[in-house]
Amino acid sequence: MNKKTSIFGGVTIIALALMVLMPILLPSVTLATEILIFALAALACNLLLGYTGLLSFGQGIFFGGGAYSASLVMLHLNFGLISALITAILVGALLALIVGALAIRRTGIYFVMLTLSFSQMAYFLAYTFSDWTGGDNGLLDVPRPALTLFGMTISDLQSSEAFYIFVAAVFAIVFVFSRRVIHSPFGTTLVAIRENEGRSSAVGFSTNHFKLVAFVISGAITGLAGALYAMLLNFAPLSNVELLMSENILIMTIIGGTSSLIGSILGAGSIVLMGDLLSSIWPRWMMILGAVLIAVVLFLPGGLWGGILSLTSKFPWKKVKTNVTSEVTK
Amino acid sequence: MNSSYLLETSSLGLDYGAFSAVGNVDLKIRKGSIHTVIGPNGAGKTSLFHCLTGERKPTRGSIHFNGENLTSLAAHKRVSKGMSRSFQITSLFQNLSVRENLRIAAQGRDGLNALKFWVPETANKANVAKADEVLERIKLEKYADRQAGELSHGQQRVLEVGMALCGSPSLLLLDEPTSGMGVDDIPIMTGLISELGKDHTVMLIEHNMRLVMSISDRITVMHQGNILIEGSPEEVKGDEQVKKAYLGESGHE
Ligand SMILES: Nc1ncnc2c1ncn2[C@@H]1O[C@H](COP(=O)(O)OP(=O)(O)OP(=O)(O)O)[C@@H](O)[C@H]1O
Ligand SMILES: [Mg+2]
Repeated sequence: MNKKTSIFGGVTIIALALMVLMPILLPSVTLATEILIFALAALACNLLLGYTGLLSFGQGIFFGGGAYSASLVMLHLNFGLISALITAILVGALLALIVGALAIRRTGIYFVMLTLSFSQMAYFLAYTFSDWTGGDNGLLDVPRPALTLFGMTISDLQSSEAFYIFVAAVFAIVFVFSRRVIHSPFGTTLVAIRENEGRSSAVGFSTNHFKLVAFVISGAITGLAGALYAMLLNFAPLSNVELLMSENILIMTIIGGTSSLIGSILGAGSIVLMGDLLSSIWPRWMMILGAVLIAVVLFLPGGLWGGILSLTSKFPWKKVKTNVTSEVTK
Repeated sequence: MNSSYLLETSSLGLDYGAFSAVGNVDLKIRKGSIHTVIGPNGAGKTSLFHCLTGERKPTRGSIHFNGENLTSLAAHKRVSKGMSRSFQITSLFQNLSVRENLRIAAQGRDGLNALKFWVPETANKANVAKADEVLERIKLEKYADRQAGELSHGQQRVLEVGMALCGSPSLLLLDEPTSGMGVDDIPIMTGLISELGKDHTVMLIEHNMRLVMSISDRITVMHQGNILIEGSPEEVKGDEQVKKAYLGESGHE
């Protein structure tokens, strides 16, 4: 297996380096934690958008569903950390199964419209069932349970550093898992569906099954991200299921670049950072976000990661290196 | 049902709204033969293929393949039954390498087993081997790592056929494999198809008469959705009705 497709080599090493550097370079560890949580959501969105070619406005449903379900089982059923996260994963997957099963019956703009409608519906459901969700106020006093493995308490996760390390560990596991998904028979079929759905079904793939499983995996990861977000904030706001959340996740995915999972970290990082830095200076910072999105779409079709790749390939040392390797492989 | 036939249709038809693209077609494809369907533009040849491979649901009639009724079976399920097709309008995975195009086409045989997301894509060695085998057969080894979209038109047409070949079909359905190809490239395709005819039953749609006459065992002529005549190349060549059908077509232009 070559380096590029090995799930531990290549971009996984870059991801690990980013995880180590972020808390050192950024103004706060909490900010770094937030970035990784949204990077999870963007990565899950990337599996649909970048790898399958499905533009889903339903990601907020899974994010909010994960946040609410994990919070509820911790508040009412005394679930611990791991079991609450597993609950969120299952709920995210189940919601994605429902939304996906109906939405993939249509393609193109009708598919997009269906995910949008589901998103609106989820918001009003969350708003209406305020006994469960806290409605407009959100779910308050969400706990952050201690990390215990095999009856041993590893950490109470109360310090932001400890929680960051935990989130980073979760992120690393999901990242490696996603790399495996992409470089599998399933993942390569997703890319084939994105490239040419008609041909994919002509060569024997039941494309809807593949899209549905992509949805379920994406929903599971997004639900996990939502649960971690609730634990970070000690709070599950209604804004988690707003359409704006789905939009933000999509924007992170697109700005970062859809050709690689690393793009999702960059996308989440830049949006979360911009929000943090600019919102304190200027309340209308979302306008700048709009301008950035326009600039990326117009001038960096591969997103930030695509831009970095084309920059590095322009450096002479890189050319020499690739020439050498191609000599060797000959 | 006579077992010397691989495919049999009876009064197969396809309507687009009020318009009948395929009227009532009774067709028998003999095992091991190269059977070509010709006919003027708009005769319904591609529409007939769409019915056979499941891209379109026939409006009437039935399709039996290997004695089994496949009339309303989904397109993707016909691959595992042994049918595989190429398209008149090139339909590749443009941004993937030539080898990956072929490997994925071979992976199509796995059906829902390709849902495995926990193993590397190269885990199924049979698919990798199939891609290599076809790569050699269509003589594109040199271009294995090129993006499909970067190939010349002629090479893309050859890859188009190669992808159909990856389904390990017993019946290979080729829709105008030479479409848009330059005169210089056509002998390559002719050679490839006659070679494939040695170990496949081939159903071919083709306009290039020299190619048709040189490699077909049997020819069906379609006109306005129906079969005009069927026969050996010699029989078809001398037929007055056929000449009229083609002349009638060019007379309109
Ligand atoms: N999707 C469609 N909707 C309506 N009419 C269609 C459709 N596809 C094809 N037709 C019509 O059906 C008729 C048969 O088309 P078909 O593509 O099967 O012809 P063909 O024999 O393959 O022609 P050619 O040699 O040009 O490829 C044509 O008159 C065409 O205009
Ligand atoms: Mg045609």
